[in-house]
Amino acid sequence: MLKDENGTVADSAESSVRERIAALEQLLGDPHDPGNPFGHAALLAADERGELIPEAERALDGFGLNAEFVPRELGGRLDRVDNLARVLRPVFRRDPALGLGYGVTSFLAAIAVWASGSEAQRRWTADLLLRGGRLAIAYHELAHGNDFVRNEFAALPDGADFLLDGRKEVINNAERAEALVLFSRTTAEPGPRSHSVLLVDKASLPVDRFDHLPRYRTVGVRGCEIGGFEFRRCPLPGDALVGTPGEGVEIALRSFQITRSVVPGMVLGGADTALRTVVGFAVQRELYGRSLLGIPHVRAAIAGSFADLLVSDCLCLVATRAVHLLPEQTSVYAAVVKYLVPKVLQETTYDLSIVLGANFYVRNGDYGVFQKHVRDLPMTSLGHAGTAACQATIIPQLPRLARRAWTLGEEAPQALFRPHEDLPPLDTDRLTLAADQDALVASLLSGADRLEGPEGRGRELAGVRAMVRCLVDELHRCREEGLALSPQDRTALASPHAYAVADRYALVLAGSACLNVWLDRQPDGSAFLDDPRWLTAALTRVVRRLGRSLPEGAELDVDWMLREVLERHRSARSYDLYDTPLAG
Amino acid sequence: MPGSAMPSVTEHQFREWLIERVSRYVRRPAQEIDPSAPFAEYGMDSVAALSLFGDIEDAFGMYLEPTVAWDHPTVESLARFLALETTNGAVR
Repeated sequence: MLKDENGTVADSAESSVRERIAALEQLLGDPHDPGNPFGHAALLAADERGELIPEAERALDGFGLNAEFVPRELGGRLDRVDNLARVLRPVFRRDPALGLGYGVTSFLAAIAVWASGSEAQRRWTADLLLRGGRLAIAYHELAHGNDFVRNEFAALPDGADFLLDGRKEVINNAERAEALVLFSRTTAEPGPRSHSVLLVDKASLPVDRFDHLPRYRTVGVRGCEIGGFEFRRCPLPGDALVGTPGEGVEIALRSFQITRSVVPGMVLGGADTALRTVVGFAVQRELYGRSLLGIPHVRAAIAGSFADLLVSDCLCLVATRAVHLLPEQTSVYAAVVKYLVPKVLQETTYDLSIVLGANFYVRNGDYGVFQKHVRDLPMTSLGHAGTAACQATIIPQLPRLARRAWTLGEEAPQALFRPHEDLPPLDTDRLTLAADQDALVASLLSGADRLEGPEGRGRELAGVRAMVRCLVDELHRCREEGLALSPQDRTALASPHAYAVADRYALVLAGSACLNVWLDRQPDGSAFLDDPRWLTAALTRVVRRLGRSLPEGAELDVDWMLREVLERHRSARSYDLYDTPLAG
Repeated sequence: MPGSAMPSVTEHQFREWLIERVSRYVRRPAQEIDPSAPFAEYGMDSVAALSLFGDIEDAFGMYLEPTVAWDHPTVESLARFLALETTNGAVR
């Protein structure tokens, strides 16, 4: 009985997510329809003007997209981080600038309030978002990049209040946001306990003490209104403090574990459009008297790109579900995903651009949307956590993980790898700043063992087995090198070698994610995910990125992958693990 | 207080160990490490300070919050804290 009830709850959660995705798809319509006010043609024109389509923002208001960013107990629809990424994919599929500019940065800001704010702050922030308001996230200053602990922006205590002094630059929605979450130095002493997070209601500030900085023009996400602030001894009430004084770095690092996990899963929507656009081109185009799809390099590029998207989605799935299932370990996984997924997607769009040829350089017309996504992709992935910042989270943890976690440890629960299975509620208090276990590595080792048993029988798995042995071998190398890292390698002055170890470790985790998504697939799941050929394809992409030659029998089945790509193109279904119906 | 001599010896050992450790992080001779100066002044950033807790765990078998070096941000204060923790039973 209880089991039935649980089953029903899970099913209704899943059907609610599917309904929301379908509603967004319908709302935003067929992107290829030239008459669609939110189609590619309209989005490209808005991009040229450097604006978001106002009607598109109103449509998202009508849908109540902001409710996706607000926890359910505060009246919103946020209960699962993996589902948040899924629901935003239809928006990023059309326009990453719309996704970021309408609202994702509001979520990036709000998560600090959800995790550490007072009841009053949580209520106030929820109400602001639920009535369509925006939050800006002001952590960085241009001069200090992701080294935000060196920030000079000060909010020094002044009696019971704070006095804000300084500039915050390159802030999305700086001007039109009603409130901001501000990362600020609150004592003059050096070190990680000198900063705090403040929730600032702009309406409460004296207008003569702060200004908005002129808008920055950017290479990608041109429609986003990116600006900044200048405060001049601007008073702020003391109750703006989020958490305790000096808790700023800790709040930021814990919030990043959620935001770094979830953003790559949204960005995947843009990469889907890039692939879909190139597939559409290849289907229509004839060259040297034959369809482009008859050219082996084109076929391989498209099939490989689809495999890259699947690798990326396996990583996104694991990271977003780990926030619920393994919160003590997500500091590393979130950084790995935020580092690796945008990198894989940029490499894959480069491969695809070669198929487009001269059309890659055209900014309008049927294929113009491709170069827009190529420009937007790095912007959305830089955002709040650049590559270097993510590596700086991974590298210092490597020696400890190598010592403690990579030889023994508990593997991940099955639910980590199952897209539709229920999850425990999000508990941000359990997110810790350093991982002491590595379930994804443990699952790689146990998965490798499983493949040597009955589950790995059969000629069609020979390639998988061989590639998984490669991954295990690579893990052992990472372990040796991780143990040998010097203390200096755990500072910002880490050697290039330390970065290389982190890079290979990230790929090992990607391989483990793919392997276990296949091994632990639900028995009643899709026929596609049941077939080991997608796993073979995914692992070839990982092993090649490790700089290793493919073992015998490990080959990406181009024809089979391409058949799936073309079928999903024809029937308008998403290029990810979910195979979601699209509006076109 | 019974055993009150122990912590002072241990505190001294922690100090010596921490000085050696910090000097390896920042690649400076041990005699240049001022036990009363914040780690951050040696260029030991917040992330490096975060990994110090793992070193302490390995060397002394003490289980601490990752942020221990943030809350006790000098060799002196961290050594004193660790000595106190030893007597309070953080060792497993």
